[in-house]
Amino acid sequence: MLEIRDLHASVAGQPILKGLNLTVKPGEVHAIMGPNGSGKSTLANVLAGRDNYEITGGEALFDGKSLADLEPEERAQLGLFLAFQYPVEIPGVSNMEFLKAALEATRAAQGKEEWDSVTLLRKAREACKQVDLDPQFLKRGVNEGFSGGEKKRNEIMQMLLMEPKLALLDETDSGLDIDALQTVAKGVNSLRGPERGIVLVTHYQRLLDYIVPDFVHVLSGGKIIKSGGKELALELEQHGYGWLTGGQNGDNGKEDQTA
Amino acid sequence: MSGDTALNLPEDLKTRALHNARQATPVEALAPLRQDALAALEGAAFPGRKTEAWKYTSLYALTDGHLTARAEGAAPADLPTLSDYRLVIVNGRLDEDRTALPEGVSLGRAARRLEGLTTPFAFYNGAALDDAVTLEVAANTDVAAPIQVLHVAAGDAPSHCNVRLEVNLGTGSRLTLIEQYLARGPVLTNAVTAIQAADNAHLTHYRLQADAGDSLHIGTLLFQQTGVSRIDSYQLMAGSRLRRNDVRAFLDKSGAELNMQGVFVARDRSHIDNQLCVEHRVPDCTSNQVYRGLAGEKGRAVLNGRIHIHPGAKGTLAELSNKNLLLNAGAEIDTKPELEIYNDDVKCAHGATVGQLDALQQFYLQSRGIDAAEAKRMLSLGFVNELIMGLPDQAVADWAQPWLAAELGGRPGADEEAA
Ligand SMILES: Nc1ncnc2c1ncn2[C@@H]1O[C@H](COP(=O)(O)OP(=O)(O)OP(=O)(O)O)[C@@H](O)[C@H]1O
Ligand SMILES: [Mg+2]
Repeated sequence: MLEIRDLHASVAGQPILKGLNLTVKPGEVHAIMGPNGSGKSTLANVLAGRDNYEITGGEALFDGKSLADLEPEERAQLGLFLAFQYPVEIPGVSNMEFLKAALEATRAAQGKEEWDSVTLLRKAREACKQVDLDPQFLKRGVNEGFSGGEKKRNEIMQMLLMEPKLALLDETDSGLDIDALQTVAKGVNSLRGPERGIVLVTHYQRLLDYIVPDFVHVLSGGKIIKSGGKELALELEQHGYGWLTGGQNGDNGKEDQTA
Repeated sequence: MSGDTALNLPEDLKTRALHNARQATPVEALAPLRQDALAALEGAAFPGRKTEAWKYTSLYALTDGHLTARAEGAAPADLPTLSDYRLVIVNGRLDEDRTALPEGVSLGRAARRLEGLTTPFAFYNGAALDDAVTLEVAANTDVAAPIQVLHVAAGDAPSHCNVRLEVNLGTGSRLTLIEQYLARGPVLTNAVTAIQAADNAHLTHYRLQADAGDSLHIGTLLFQQTGVSRIDSYQLMAGSRLRRNDVRAFLDKSGAELNMQGVFVARDRSHIDNQLCVEHRVPDCTSNQVYRGLAGEKGRAVLNGRIHIHPGAKGTLAELSNKNLLLNAGAEIDTKPELEIYNDDVKCAHGATVGQLDALQQFYLQSRGIDAAEAKRMLSLGFVNELIMGLPDQAVADWAQPWLAAELGGRPGADEEAA
């Protein structure tokens, strides 16, 4: 469902992704790990269609359609969902109003039946419960004044309601306490199915104890430099990235400064 | 129109205004005001291009000849009902058949207020009135329900009307007043509302301006807090071909409190100019102003917030905040706080900003399937929502939500949803 070939992308004119390849098939769970600044969030943002994140080479296909040709909302309507590393606060727009607009737009585009307000409210409350978020949060401004962990749970709550085909979770585990990590993992697992793909960006092996991936990739310097099964994550936990990056730690694979 | 006409416009307007005032049919109850206002008009100059207070607002639209004819159109049949008690004023004249007032409020027709008014349009209003409405709220009356005053203006050709409302709140009285302006057609509403509050009076005031886009409005809203009183004024305003709102408030007794909140929206080619002036003339008064403005397409919005703290007005607390949102590059918003403080013992805070929609917020909404136009609308609404949510009267809030949704480029069906 996701086919990324030799993807090059820049952020604000700066090249960040440099020939990235990744294939996600329905039913698969992929984990992407990698040093800070290696381009993981860039990849997620490029796929979701953020402004200034420009594809400069290669291609990214979602269900055969080139993502580069689509507006962010069209990608979402096709079933792509990004759980943000840093969810955005929108004061003045209530969470409920936001969900209503999002679900109206995506469900209509996907030919799913429309939910009336009673159904919507019921579903939203259930989704809140699933991630241990007080339904009072539905009335608050989107992410407004939410704690770090509450924001992450709010992302997963939205994902549960939107039932995307492909979910990209960018460090959804960071900032979650131990109990919340399990709750969120349960939420994500409940969405797992033969039709769906999930891409998890994470720094920690622990999440992968709960959401067991089919593949683990290491992203460094804007490329996938190693792929393996779930045991790769354990190896990384023990040895770090040094043995893969040849001593470089993150920094997007910049040239040696002394050269 | 030739350049000459524009050049002579202030003179032309004055000549026309004086002519109209002198020709107007005498009305006995209004004779003293008309006489004094005429004298003031004779000594006044209409604004031209170099008049500082009119720097952003051109009167060029008036070359269409609005001042040459009186508006004579009929009021639309279905007028919004926001309360059981109401007054309908059509083209400046009270429609007596549609008047319903609560107990403790008496209706009069003899307007008197001239002091505190400063613009030639306000003088002209007084000098050429052919009707006026005054409301006296008896001392210690807690008026049960809001009074809705509908200022209707209607006409098919360029024309104008002079509209006058004066309200006096007696000692210890309470009132909610909803002033709603509804103009249809190319009519200039030249409005004056003057409100006086005695000791322990409390007024909740709304000024709702949802006129048609081709209408014009030039008005002064005057608050005179002669007693230890409280006024909460909520002002919701759409731009139109020309809208100019002067608000002048006098805090004249220690302990008086004034709160003003406003939302103004200028879309397409519409124009709105807010000139606020709060005068702290005695010690220990409080004024708090919060305005939010939005402009899109080629809309133009202006706010000038003057706070004048006189030498004797020690212990003054005065705040003014004006945040604005530009929806696109073609729109323009000019905002300026103007502080004149003549003593040290004051607490005064002010802030004015003009910003744009946040790209990241917009991306977040779009990443959830919401299209760009709807995302913009939601963010614009969010920008002013706090003020709308804070409206104390449900009937007004219920009116305001769909109004605002429509102003911000509402989705079809948004009205029903809010209902
Ligand atoms: N607007 C920008 N302008 C210039 N450089 C940028 C911009 N945004 C991101 N970058 C750079 O792109 C690189 C990749 O950033 P990205 O956020 O994708 O890393 P990441 O792998 O998600 O890291 P982390 O693990 O810390 O979340 C970083 O070096 C970052 O500084
Ligand atoms: Mg990141």
